[in-house]
Amino acid sequence: MATAMNVVGIGVVVQQDAQRSCHKKMVFEGMPIAPSFAAWAVSVADLCEQVDRLAPLAMTLGAADPRATDWHGSLFGKLKPQVAREPLLVAAVCGGTNTGKSLITNTLVGAAISRSVPEAARTLHPVASLAAGVAGRIDLAALFPGFQPVPWRSEEDALDAAANDVLVWREDPGGTQPARLVVLDTPDIDGTLRENWHRAELVRDAADVIVAVLTQQKYNDAAVRDFFSDAAAAGKTVIIVFNMVDWPRQRERLAGWLGTFTAETGVAPTAVYAAPHDFAAAEAGRITLHPVAELTPDGGAAGLGERLAGCDFDRIKRHAMSGAMRVVLDPGRGLATWLNDIDRAAAGWRDSQQFLKREGQVRVELPAAPRQIVWDEIWSWLEPRRSGVDLFVSGGYRFIGRGISWTAQRIGIGRTAEERQEDFATTELEALKRALADFIDRLDDACRRDERLGAKLGPRLASADRAAWYTDLERRHAALPLVSHDYRKFVRDELDRFAAENPGMVKAVLTGLTVGSVARPVMTLALFGAGAAAVPAAAGVLHHVVDFGVTVAAPLAGEGAVAVASKGIRPLIERLFAGWSAERGKILAETLHDVVLGDGLEEIARLADSGSRPELVRARQLLVECSREAG
Amino acid sequence: MDSTTDASTHPHPVEPDFVAFDLLVDALARWSARGPQWPPARRVKSEWEAVAPRLDRARRELSRVLVVGVIGGTGTGKSTLVNALAGGEVTAAGDVARPTTVNPIVVAARDVDVSWLPLDVMQARLVRSDSPAVANIVLVDCPDPDTQDLVASPAHGEATRSSAGNHNRDLLEAVLPACDVLLLVSTAQKYRSWIVAREVAAFAPGRPLLFVQTHATRDPDIRGDWRGELESQGFEVPRIFRIDGVEAAARAAAGLEPDAGFRELLDAIAGELAGRAARRVRRTGAVDLAAWFTRQARAELSPFKEPAAALAGGVVAERKRLEAILACEVGGKLRSNRSAWQRLIGDDVVARWHGGPFATFLHVIAALGSLWSRVRPGGGLIGRLLAGQPASAAVGNGGWQAVEDLGLAVGEVEQSRSVLVGFASRAAIGDPLVGRARLDTSCVPAITAAVIDRAGHWLGSGIDRLVADRRTRIGRPLLHWVFEGLFVALFATVLVRAGWNFFHGNLWEGRPVSGIGFLEEALVWVVLWGLFLRWVIFALVRLGLDRDIESLVGGLPSARLVDPLLADFADAADATTVWLNEGERLGADADRLAAAGGETPSLGRLRRPPG
Repeated sequence: MATAMNVVGIGVVVQQDAQRSCHKKMVFEGMPIAPSFAAWAVSVADLCEQVDRLAPLAMTLGAADPRATDWHGSLFGKLKPQVAREPLLVAAVCGGTNTGKSLITNTLVGAAISRSVPEAARTLHPVASLAAGVAGRIDLAALFPGFQPVPWRSEEDALDAAANDVLVWREDPGGTQPARLVVLDTPDIDGTLRENWHRAELVRDAADVIVAVLTQQKYNDAAVRDFFSDAAAAGKTVIIVFNMVDWPRQRERLAGWLGTFTAETGVAPTAVYAAPHDFAAAEAGRITLHPVAELTPDGGAAGLGERLAGCDFDRIKRHAMSGAMRVVLDPGRGLATWLNDIDRAAAGWRDSQQFLKREGQVRVELPAAPRQIVWDEIWSWLEPRRSGVDLFVSGGYRFIGRGISWTAQRIGIGRTAEERQEDFATTELEALKRALADFIDRLDDACRRDERLGAKLGPRLASADRAAWYTDLERRHAALPLVSHDYRKFVRDELDRFAAENPGMVKAVLTGLTVGSVARPVMTLALFGAGAAAVPAAAGVLHHVVDFGVTVAAPLAGEGAVAVASKGIRPLIERLFAGWSAERGKILAETLHDVVLGDGLEEIARLADSGSRPELVRARQLLVECSREAG
Repeated sequence: MDSTTDASTHPHPVEPDFVAFDLLVDALARWSARGPQWPPARRVKSEWEAVAPRLDRARRELSRVLVVGVIGGTGTGKSTLVNALAGGEVTAAGDVARPTTVNPIVVAARDVDVSWLPLDVMQARLVRSDSPAVANIVLVDCPDPDTQDLVASPAHGEATRSSAGNHNRDLLEAVLPACDVLLLVSTAQKYRSWIVAREVAAFAPGRPLLFVQTHATRDPDIRGDWRGELESQGFEVPRIFRIDGVEAAARAAAGLEPDAGFRELLDAIAGELAGRAARRVRRTGAVDLAAWFTRQARAELSPFKEPAAALAGGVVAERKRLEAILACEVGGKLRSNRSAWQRLIGDDVVARWHGGPFATFLHVIAALGSLWSRVRPGGGLIGRLLAGQPASAAVGNGGWQAVEDLGLAVGEVEQSRSVLVGFASRAAIGDPLVGRARLDTSCVPAITAAVIDRAGHWLGSGIDRLVADRRTRIGRPLLHWVFEGLFVALFATVLVRAGWNFFHGNLWEGRPVSGIGFLEEALVWVVLWGLFLRWVIFALVRLGLDRDIESLVGGLPSARLVDPLLADFADAADATTVWLNEGERLGADADRLAAAGGETPSLGRLRRPPG
């Protein structure tokens, strides 16, 4: 006997095969019920916070995008927005293109809220039917993350191609929709517009009940299977509607189709309906839903609307929330796999960092410094400490020395101090340029051999104007005085310290500095400050170049000077010359840091250390807590 | 009429230009084979290797029947349509289970040889049919693309699921390469299927298509919307047929005349796919395929055009930079060797002056000078050339030291190469086309020797020219005799003074004879006068020398001295640019040829990538 029922909204036509009792209809007064899952609220909120903190890092690490995972949908689309809110029951009508979702939704809510058209994939935005007063009580944007809620204006809203990620909502004007029930029409899940898939997935994640609209053409399509498999895994309650059935000729086929669908997806439908193919009725906005009692587990023949309104909201809600939590906690597909991905990626970056440390070392062979550069600084320190006789004698020596130099220059066998400094600067700049070229070569190589480094540094190395790097080096070199203020301070500090620790040795210093020569300084410039500790004396000069260390790899002071000086002076002289050479090399380090690599090295170091981030530890703890709370 | 476009409104199909097509295919084969050792060129070559056999087959198998693959989503009525065309149930159809067709069914007339079809690879079953609709074509009922899992390891991939063993899409991808024409079947539910669109797009290039909406009696007419969807995917859609496969199959089985919609499809098959039309379709498909290949190749290569041009520009800029450094250094060295120039030009001039007192004086000075060892000329190529060595002997064996002696520091060369490595890497050009910033040790001797050799010949000839000019100017007889005259004038003055003293002073006025003291004094003046004149000669040698050196150095770029140092980058830029331009030209030829092929009344084609 056919009975017209106005269960959810108005005008729903339900074909009942027999008068059967349905579930006892619960009475909802719109009062929130505190379910058991409310106790998860703190842990879930904390977990979401940790995931949010980790997400940018994970993206940078190259771990899988969590937004494409089922656990993320369950955590952020289901648990987070619903665990502490009024427990509304969300029912979504889902299915492939042109299977009649909008028509079924309209029928279910008893009003044309979403336009049904013959063309496929026209529903671009979900449309929600709410009970009266819900919109004012509930934050819909929080309930449906990823969407911007907009009030319904017409049935064309769902087709608006100009809008983007909106959720159209409308309150039931008749006031008959159960207070805690939300019914949604969704975009398709298999069409050429992939955005539609994503929007349907967001709605599915938020839903407790899925009305799966299948047809004989689509019940076994891979895209359809995938969509509903995830719904089943997340503990959604599924009601199946076979639409466009050649009724009753194909009734006997339904069991086979359903068997294939449930076996493929793991869906255990609570009820099955069939809608006969009737193009004229569909054009007129009408559809008839036949309960298929023989395929419905409880054997009930209640209409779809009646079944939805009469179901045990709390039980379904708990089931859906528990299912969502199961998905999040699943050791094989849940949040833990993402945390493991981050760990693995961080370990990979540690390997890459080590690789770069090994490969990113350049030997810089600077020319021998003009001898008087360091001496003059030492003499100026010694000046106030020397006796009058000593000063007179050394002044005489200096006068004679200057005279000899002047004569040599006049007859063309000597070069002026300016000329010698110019020669030194040219040779030094060339050495620095060679070192820079070598460094870039090594970085190019490292990027070719290490995929991660290639992804991180490769684009910068390839797209930059390399000529500008060399111009920068030239600029820094031209701006660097032969003796900087920093170096003067360094020399004075060193000598003061030496004099304080070895008061009797100052005389020996005088002797040691009047003879000897300076050997070619050779330095190794390494990434990540690997050798910084090896040059304590130069550390003051180099301190602000965080990411580079300059290691003195060969004796810096001339053997002559060292040979006559006592053991105590030797390290001092080495430090003084090393400090000067290190300061020269520092400009190359600065060019590398500021211009060539930018913040690339800090980023690599950060990624390599990311495995020890406290958020990771906390997230794992929370998973254990959630597991305990969810039983 | 049940199709969206009237066939009579279309122009008559135009025969493709077969000769031009053959020439194009040969040119494309040569072009893809000649590509530089460059990743984009390798990808294009690999794409060509996939396309070439199809083009070759199209050229060789012009006369065989067309293979028409019936494709579409599951449940769209492919098998029902095949049965209707075959005039009986040759393949299972129905609504019992999805998918219905697992193994492809090949339907051919009894007299058609299909031994060339790889039935084993296709895992297909051959069915013979006497239906006139398949008399001149081979029809293939293809598996669907939409029931196999979307990813290889499905999220819920228990081995017990029947779909875990579903390889319909793999089978479809094994069948479609054998098809010449695709008959795309769809319904109101499936015409916007993402997976079907993806598969069709992958196999549509070079394969004309027929579009058919089935379930005409059940579904609304969606052809207008479908056409828009297909056009947005890059298809040219002249016509979409609309039929009801179930009804057509029933009428065919009952021996009844087909209805109007199915009749149109039969006519299109008979008129546009059979007989002489088959030859044209195959050639048109091949031309389309060639044009598709060139479009793909251009799309692949277009991101590299600007970087390749930038590399060429970078080579020019770095070459200029190094030449400027070299010009500055070489000019400085040439200018600073004044004494060498003086010797080189002056000594030669002196050596050629004979037969006068001044010449004798100069020779005496030169002879005395040779008693002292001369200052060793400056090192390096310039020093040796200015020392009078011929260019062939002066160039030596190269090496970085020789280049540095010339004035070009290794650091500057490495800077230029490092900058060019950046340009090259932006264009994805690397080993083996270009080297690194630091030249490979094994290449250094040859490259530096080439630089020094070029420099030796350029400088040698330049210095020779400059010296010859000055020798001509200074060594003129008139100038020689002027100097002889000036020198002799003092000499004569001394003699006249001595004669005057003797004849007038001593004999006439009776003054005592001056003695040889006067002669000693006179000799000193003669020597000083001679030295002064010699200094004037050398001053004339040096006059305007800086200007001439500047002019010589100004010609340095034309000597292409630094080219060997950057040769790998210059060659790579040239090779890639020439190859890219050739690709553009061939692409334009292919587009022209494809456009000249005209349109067919019913057959669609993929014209461009989705957009």
